[in-house]
Amino acid sequence: MGLLSSSASFVRYAVEGELPENFWEFAAERIAAFSFRDIDDSYEERSVGWVSVLNMFDSAFEYASYAAGDTIVLTLRIDERKISSAALKKFAAKEEERIKKERQVPKLARNHRVEIKENMKLMLTKRAVPIPAVYDLSWNLSEGTVFFFSTNKKAQEVVEEYFKETFGLHLILQIPYLTAGHLVDEQGQEQLANLTPSIFV
Amino acid sequence: MDLVDLIAEKYFLGQEFLTWLWFKSDERGGTVFVPGMGDIILVYEKHLLLESGEGESHEKLICRGLQSELQEARTGLAMGKKVEQARIHLVKGDYEYHLTLRGSMLDFSAVKLPKTMAGSEESNDPEAVEGRLLDRLGLYEDLVRIIDELFRMFLAIRVSPEWEGEVAAIRAWIHKAAA
Repeated sequence: MGLLSSSASFVRYAVEGELPENFWEFAAERIAAFSFRDIDDSYEERSVGWVSVLNMFDSAFEYASYAAGDTIVLTLRIDERKISSAALKKFAAKEEERIKKERQVPKLARNHRVEIKENMKLMLTKRAVPIPAVYDLSWNLSEGTVFFFSTNKKAQEVVEEYFKETFGLHLILQIPYLTAGHLVDEQGQEQLANLTPSIFV
Repeated sequence: MDLVDLIAEKYFLGQEFLTWLWFKSDERGGTVFVPGMGDIILVYEKHLLLESGEGESHEKLICRGLQSELQEARTGLAMGKKVEQARIHLVKGDYEYHLTLRGSMLDFSAVKLPKTMAGSEESNDPEAVEGRLLDRLGLYEDLVRIIDELFRMFLAIRVSPEWEGEVAAIRAWIHKAAA
């Protein structure tokens, strides 16, 4: 459901903050520093970073540049090792039973059970395959606006945070009231602030 | 006021816009005149979600139908509901869009862009890719511009003394349609 697919969903953001003078140099350096790092061969739980919109394996932008006219086009890739809570519960219970039997005790102390759960979580995380998710983004530099191609709230939270980390600029979600603020004059803005719902029946 | 409070307090603005837009397009048989752009075709189709109330009194009504007149949705309006989500078919000149707009957030979903020449080129050399990206981005930006212009038209009336007359006209439309 991204920028290049036949059907897409997106939200709008306004970019707040000043662009640095040598913007393209700055962008190149920041995008490289915050590009996606693969975790397939490690045990890390989560990895977030930028890749090319054309290819989720291209974090060096070898096949397509992130620059299209005065727009920056990027894909945010999030790989995560997810553990089902039911599986974690099962493995923790199984391990508790094993230890109780081995030590011939009826119960385990609470902190011991917490420790077992932690260990099982680590064991399952190592076994889990990272699940990838990709979300496209286009940043119109002259207008200072961003289209983010997902209406998923969690993905929006991640992009807001990661964009700030990467470029040091804030993304402000354009809800109707904020969009309206750009579309009316000064007098209209005052009236807008005082509006209350109308009744149509 | 922070964003969460603003969303809660002003969610009605987008819903009133979508309700007004339906009235506006229906008034001229599916055409809306946009200053600076001319006539555009704008039809509510297939899917509509209406809402009323908050908290425990919150009610939702979903209406689906390919070629229907969305009669139940019109009855919903007469019961005091407002449009929260609408599937819209929009034509401006040679360009034809399909999109779903959500009132409370004014976000765009299931957007289908017009078919263009660049869309059929599948070459992956960097220039063709950039061309394809620019082509699609331009179409998305055009779509947003059209919706913004419609929203601007709505806001101009909404904050003016003319709004009372517009509400009376919307009421008459709702009652006529639901009768």
